[in-house]
Amino acid sequence: MKVLEIKKVRRYFGGIKAVENFSLDVEEGAIVGLIGPNGAGKSTLFNCVAGVFPPTAGEIVFLGERTAGLKPWDLCRRGLARTFQIVKPFASRSVLYNVMVGAFAGTARRSEAERRALEVLERLRMVKIKDARAGNLTIADRKRLEIARALATRPRLLLLDEVMAGLRPTEVDEMVAIIKGLRDSGMTIFVIEHIMRAIMALSDRIAVLHFGSKIAEGTPQEIARDERVIKAYLGEDYGAA
Amino acid sequence: MLFIIEDTLNGILMGAIYGLAALGLTVIFGVLKVINFAHGSLLMVGMYVAYWAVLLTGVHPYLSLIVVVPVMFVFGYLLQDILIKPIFKSEKEVREPITVIIVTTGVWYILDNLALLIFGPQYRNIQDNPLRGKMLEIGEMMVSVPKLWGFFTALATALLIYLFLQKTRMGRAVRATSLDRDAASLQGINQYRIYNIAFGLGTAVAGVAGVTLVPFYNIFPTVGVLFDIKCFIIVVLGGLGSIGGALLGGMIIGVIESVGPQFMTATWTEAIVYALFLAFLFLKPSGLFGVKYDW
Amino acid sequence: MLPSRARKLPLVLVALAAFGLPLVVTSATYLHILILLFLYAYLTTSWNLVGGFAGVLPLGHAAFVGIGAYTSTILSLQYGVSPWIGMFAGALIAAVVGVIIGLPTFKMRGAYFALATIAFAEGIRVMFENIDHLGPFQINGPRGLQIPPLKTGLVHFMFADKEPYYYIILVMLAAVLALTWAISRSKLGFYLVAGGEEPEAAQALGVNVARAKLAAMAMSSFLTALAGTFWAQFTLYIHPKSVMSLDISFEIAFIALIGGRGSIAGPVLGALLLRPVSDFSRIYFGDTLPGLHLIIFGVVLVLVMLFQPRGLQEPLTRFYQQAMRRLSGGREAAP
Repeated sequence: MKVLEIKKVRRYFGGIKAVENFSLDVEEGAIVGLIGPNGAGKSTLFNCVAGVFPPTAGEIVFLGERTAGLKPWDLCRRGLARTFQIVKPFASRSVLYNVMVGAFAGTARRSEAERRALEVLERLRMVKIKDARAGNLTIADRKRLEIARALATRPRLLLLDEVMAGLRPTEVDEMVAIIKGLRDSGMTIFVIEHIMRAIMALSDRIAVLHFGSKIAEGTPQEIARDERVIKAYLGEDYGAA
Repeated sequence: MLFIIEDTLNGILMGAIYGLAALGLTVIFGVLKVINFAHGSLLMVGMYVAYWAVLLTGVHPYLSLIVVVPVMFVFGYLLQDILIKPIFKSEKEVREPITVIIVTTGVWYILDNLALLIFGPQYRNIQDNPLRGKMLEIGEMMVSVPKLWGFFTALATALLIYLFLQKTRMGRAVRATSLDRDAASLQGINQYRIYNIAFGLGTAVAGVAGVTLVPFYNIFPTVGVLFDIKCFIIVVLGGLGSIGGALLGGMIIGVIESVGPQFMTATWTEAIVYALFLAFLFLKPSGLFGVKYDW
Repeated sequence: MLPSRARKLPLVLVALAAFGLPLVVTSATYLHILILLFLYAYLTTSWNLVGGFAGVLPLGHAAFVGIGAYTSTILSLQYGVSPWIGMFAGALIAAVVGVIIGLPTFKMRGAYFALATIAFAEGIRVMFENIDHLGPFQINGPRGLQIPPLKTGLVHFMFADKEPYYYIILVMLAAVLALTWAISRSKLGFYLVAGGEEPEAAQALGVNVARAKLAAMAMSSFLTALAGTFWAQFTLYIHPKSVMSLDISFEIAFIALIGGRGSIAGPVLGALLLRPVSDFSRIYFGDTLPGLHLIIFGVVLVLVMLFQPRGLQEPLTRFYQQAMRRLSGGREAAP
């Protein structure tokens, strides 16, 4: 079953074509990676999918429903959660409080929200820091908090926007394990990532965005061998890396 | 029919003075992206400085500009440097810290009531000045001379600020900071110094507005409140951050206030001004000339 | 976290003390000051629902005080409706008005909302000062409305002594504090805080930020208007300057900001600190040093914003918790 269908989506800002005729299907239970150089339009595409702004043309179908006119909060309640590239914690509040905000998407009861939040924190091994002020966390913990909040909404599809940027190698490995664990529990994941090692290890399929257009799509192995991708994005250095 | 033209004319003149007061607010907003709630109080301070300067020396009211402009510039510069800068530093990532609004509100209360404490509640004016009560006769119409002076001062000030922003090195630094404070800092511009200068400049303009009022207006501790709210209305009407918008917005308010009473009680026109303001706020928050902010 | 008994006990003591206070304080002047203190604590707590939790800065709450005061007074003077009923009629009108102001402005950030609330409140005041009749209702312009003290008793919300007013406002304050506490722990409370701090992130987590703020605004205006009726019945004379002036709006905001907005204790603390300053300086320096208390307010406000931007409740709460821990013999481990 297709969780997400992106059909010929365009997004222009004034005269700038941020995304041009992009199509992609995300199958249930898959991890799909989206890569591309800076400014290729990845975050713009995510914002269209998450309902932050509508596509200029084309359509997006989430769980069989067209998302036109749906706001971020509507989509969240239908099972779509996302993280932000620049983390946005509710800084003055505790980690638990932050995650409970997400949990309230599925329940109006405080006790139930707290239970769900603790469940997520347990899963991400963050229980120890549940009472810490979110504004005081390390980068790695902030990124994990970003995921924890999204998970607490109990999404069917999770959009991850560069959750590994700024992490140390061991932390990256940890994050890869966490994301794989999420997929194994049945979640579908659509991920933007810059760290090539991570995206190659994670993804079932990868789409490559270049100047707003999709230039390739395939398994990690196919992408690694694709001439256009190597030229346009990975450059000459990739072979050496 | 003639009296309507006469009222319109006088309204435009008075409105230009409103616009001049609002100009200071808009300069500060344009750069710091915050609304200075103490703006009316700064104008009041400017009026008292001008009042005493004229009273003690007996010079022409407009000569007091020599004192008022530098005094007010330094006052505004220090105000920003001491009270507002720390907030910008501690709330770096906040684009428009609400704390600044609050602090300037505090400054408003301090200044107004200090003036009350020092000068008392009485209305003061300079009886003995060459502009007071002067009228210019154009055919059968009477035009207030002090307001005419104010009108030209407003135009001249707006022009000077425009030239400063466009032609001088410092002005370009100010504009760069107003467009993108982070990028400007990367270019080696000290953003906090620019803030100080912008705030000083805005305060000095409030002082100039004060000087134009002194020849014909009463001076009292809460006179700023009248202008405070008017200035808010004008900058929203004209578009926050726009120089031309401030002048035009001021003139619109001036005309409504001066023509309105021909058709209704004077105080109703005040209500109309508020209604106009709310209408703009709700329907076109970017104002007549303003850039559309995403807020 | 403190053990729950250590937290509840002081609350019970404070409540008992508050209820017993009129037995000790018999001077009408002091009782009057206390009533105003609780009234402002109540107003500020109501303000705090939107100004504190929702992270915006409303500066026109006097309009809602006025709407409450005028509605119940007009209904009682012209139609003989009990002020208790008029109280809720006024509150409903205020809630609707609050939503109307919030609807377009909550989508914008920061200063615009503050400006809109000021302009709105001033607009209403100017209107009330300039008309004698609003449709069929007698308003009397700047002269205002006098409530003849004919029938006293609880049903008429009118008493010869000050004690009943004291208890009424105390109960109102306790109720609004309990309500705030409940909201702060509810889904709405979480959504308000989230939307106030990081609107984009909140929306992505399923929060309809504008709707949460509107709900808070409706409640806040509703509660504020209830106090307007109290004000009218307590003073028996209302005019636009007394119940709608900008000074009231600002004093409410100042008390909240100095006490600590977004916290439950903040508004009460702020009122405890600032109201006596205001009353005593008016009593003792009103003639010689007019406006002294406003200078003090301004200075305190600026200092608090610079050095303790989340209000005085923060250091005081910390101090209190340490003291309680020490009192409970250090058995409770530090968190």
